[in-house]
Amino acid sequence: MPDHVSVRVPETRMAVRAAATEDLTSSRERFLRRAIMAGGTLVVGGVVVAGLPRLAASAAQSAAQDAEIFNFALLLEYTQSAFYAEAVERAELTGELLEFATVVAEHERAHVEYLRDALGSEARDEPTTDFGEATADPDAFGAAAVTLEDVAVAAYNGQAGNLTKGALRAAATIISVDARHAAWIRSIVGETPAAQAVDEPLSAEQATARIDETGFLAER
Amino acid sequence: MTIHDIPGLACEDLDRDGALREATDELERTSRAGFLGALAGGLAAAVALGRPTAAGAALAKSDVAILNYALTLEYLQDAFYTEAERKGALSGPAARLTRVVGAVERAHVKALRKVLGEKAVARPFFDFRGVTEDSPSFVRTAVAFEDLAVAAYKGQAHMIESPAVLAAAVGIHSVEARHAAWIRYIAGATPAAEPFDEGKTKAQTLALVRSTRFVVGRPRTSSTKSPRFTG
Repeated sequence: MPDHVSVRVPETRMAVRAAATEDLTSSRERFLRRAIMAGGTLVVGGVVVAGLPRLAASAAQSAAQDAEIFNFALLLEYTQSAFYAEAVERAELTGELLEFATVVAEHERAHVEYLRDALGSEARDEPTTDFGEATADPDAFGAAAVTLEDVAVAAYNGQAGNLTKGALRAAATIISVDARHAAWIRSIVGETPAAQAVDEPLSAEQATARIDETGFLAER
Repeated sequence: MTIHDIPGLACEDLDRDGALREATDELERTSRAGFLGALAGGLAAAVALGRPTAAGAALAKSDVAILNYALTLEYLQDAFYTEAERKGALSGPAARLTRVVGAVERAHVKALRKVLGEKAVARPFFDFRGVTEDSPSFVRTAVAFEDLAVAAYKGQAHMIESPAVLAAAVGIHSVEARHAAWIRYIAGATPAAEPFDEGKTKAQTLALVRSTRFVVGRPRTSSTKSPRFTG
C-alpha cells in the first residue's frame, strides 16, 4: 500500500470542463496537463483507505482525507453510472424516462472520469454491481433512481465540511447536478422534487447503509 | 444567464401534470414540520454559535458578508414568489411550485435573518414589472433566478469559515438546484443541461441581479401626474 496520497484538485473551471469533455485516449497526458493547469499537486503523507471513509465530523481537512472522500464519491458515481447504463439497455424506457436515463448516464460517466482523474493512481476499482429487478421495468427504474440521486446529494453534502477548500469547490460542481437529477426524476415519477427547505446530509456510514439497503453493490 | 434560453410557453402547457399536483399538495401538508425540522438541524446550529450574545456576533466578518449576500438573493426570490402567489395569475404546476418554493424561500430568509441578527441587511424594494402576472415571463424568470441561486451559493461555499454555516449553505445550495430542475421541468427545458454546474462570483451574480432592474431604490408609488387618457 503506498504511503503517500496525492489528490489533484483542479482550481479552474477550465480543468473541470476538460475533465468532462476530453476523450480518454491519453489519460496520462491529460492528467499531467491538468495538474499544470491546476497550479500544482497536493501531496501529503497518509494512508490510502481502500474501502469507505470513516470520518469524524470534526476530522481535520487534508489531501489524504480528500482522497478518501473522493473515493467514496467515486463509489457512488460508479454505482449510478452502471445503473443508468444498464437501465437504458434493459428497462424498456420510453419518452421522458428514456431521455432522463440517457442524459444522466452521460453525466454520471463524466463524474466518474472526473473523480478518477482527480484521484490518479489512488482511485478505487469499479465495484461489482447487481441491480436485480431495479432495471427490469420503468417503474422500478424510477423508484431506484430517486433513491440513488437523493442519497448521492445527501452523501456529498455530508462530506462538504470534511473537504479542503479546493476539493469542496470541485465537488460542489457535481453536487448540484445530482440534485438536479434528483428533482428531475422526482418530477417524472410524480414525487415532490424538493421536499425540504434544507437538504439533510448523510454521514458516510448512513449513506453506505442506504446503498447497502438497495443491494446494488454485490461487492465493494 | 438562462433567462432567454427557454422558448415561449403557452399557459395550457403548464397544466399537464396531475401527478405533480398531487405530490405538491402532499408537500403542502407536510412541509411545515419538514423544513422547519431541517432548519433546526442546519441553520439554527449556526445561530447557536452566536449565543449567548447577539446572533451573528460570533461569526467571522467574511461569513457575515456571505450570509448577507445570500440573504439578498433570498429576499429577491421570496418577494418574487410571494408576489406571484398573491397576484394569483398562475395556474397548474407553476402555481403549485410558486406556493411550495415561495414558502421555502421565505423560510431561508427567516433563517438567515435569525442567524445574522442585528447584522442582517435590510430588505430591498422590488418591482417585478408584471413578470409575476404573466406565466411565460414568470417561468423564464424563475428558471433564471434558481439557476443563479445555485451558482451563487456554489461560488461562496469554499470561502465559508464556520462549519455550521457551511453545512446549512450546502443544504440550501442543493435545494436551490432542485428548484431549478423543477421549474425547468415545468418549463419544458432540460433540468440538468451539463454534467458540471459552474459557480458564479458575487460580482457576477450581483451584476446579473442589477441588470434585471427588479431591485428598486424605494417602493414605486402611483404617479401624481394626471392620466394621459381620461376616457
